[in-house]
Amino acid sequence: MPDLITSATDARRSGTRIVAAGIAVIVGLLVIAGVGLFVTLPDANAFNAKVEQIFVENDDLTSQAEVKLLEILAQSGTAFSDTLAGYRTTIFVLLVFATAMLVAALVFLVMLVGLNRRMAQIERSGIQVNSLIVSREENTVYLNTMGFKLTDAMMETVSILAEARLDDELLSGAQIEAIISGRLESDCEEAAGATRIKRLRDGLGNQLVSELLIKNIARRGYMLAIDKDVIEVL
Amino acid sequence: MKRVFYSLLFVLFSLPVTAQAACYADYKAKQDAPLRLHYGVAQINGPCTASNAARELQTRLQQAGWTLLNVVSVFDDSGLAERKDSAGPHYLRY
Repeated sequence: MPDLITSATDARRSGTRIVAAGIAVIVGLLVIAGVGLFVTLPDANAFNAKVEQIFVENDDLTSQAEVKLLEILAQSGTAFSDTLAGYRTTIFVLLVFATAMLVAALVFLVMLVGLNRRMAQIERSGIQVNSLIVSREENTVYLNTMGFKLTDAMMETVSILAEARLDDELLSGAQIEAIISGRLESDCEEAAGATRIKRLRDGLGNQLVSELLIKNIARRGYMLAIDKDVIEVL
Repeated sequence: MKRVFYSLLFVLFSLPVTAQAACYADYKAKQDAPLRLHYGVAQINGPCTASNAARELQTRLQQAGWTLLNVVSVFDDSGLAERKDSAGPHYLRY
């Protein structure tokens, strides 16, 4: 896998380049095809030239009836070449359609590649929190679809942190302790708040890791909850 | 008698001249858009060769709006009759 380290911006930029180059190539190819088509299709005079050549090359084609016949032949040829011109227009329109289709296909392809890269990045960056639900009744915090049971004290801490985040506030350890215990901030110690955070981290972190990484299957044992293809021991 | 002699003399002198002048060429010509073709017979004034006939006919036909394609052959009086039918309206026209 070459070039593992790419940012989304890089991908987008190179994607645009690929699209531009691809469109240029497609349009170029079809222009060449169109020009080839127009050049190789016999022009309206081809039949006349052929009839003229026959007339010149055969010395005994001299009677009036024969000459008249040759003229009629040339005229019907000219009529047919009009039909050919019609075909040419049709083919050209089809070519334009083909161009549009190819361009659309290319754009979609590049979009697909971009999305794949983005997906890979999301996978690599680990857990991405789409929703956090704090349920006080159940003493549970829901991260995305995973639920984590917490103690009352931890629930308090999580709730306070969530509310502070909603208000875009930062809380010091002493402030956390003050809100939970209901005492004045000046009476509270920074260490008490820090301990609460530590307990929350431990409790939540343990459950998170056990959910995401080290699964405990009841009465059977422990297992890494990852695909075995991605494991590499150096 | 004298008249007969004079006329004979006249014929004698004029014969080679007429024989030299009686040169004809049959040719093929065309007009473009729409393509029209014709086969014709024309008298040639200069030397009785195909190249000279082509040169003469080219200018004459050009004036009438035709393009000379080729000169089939040059011939004298004896060849006129057999080509009269084929040439049709273009018999000695240009």
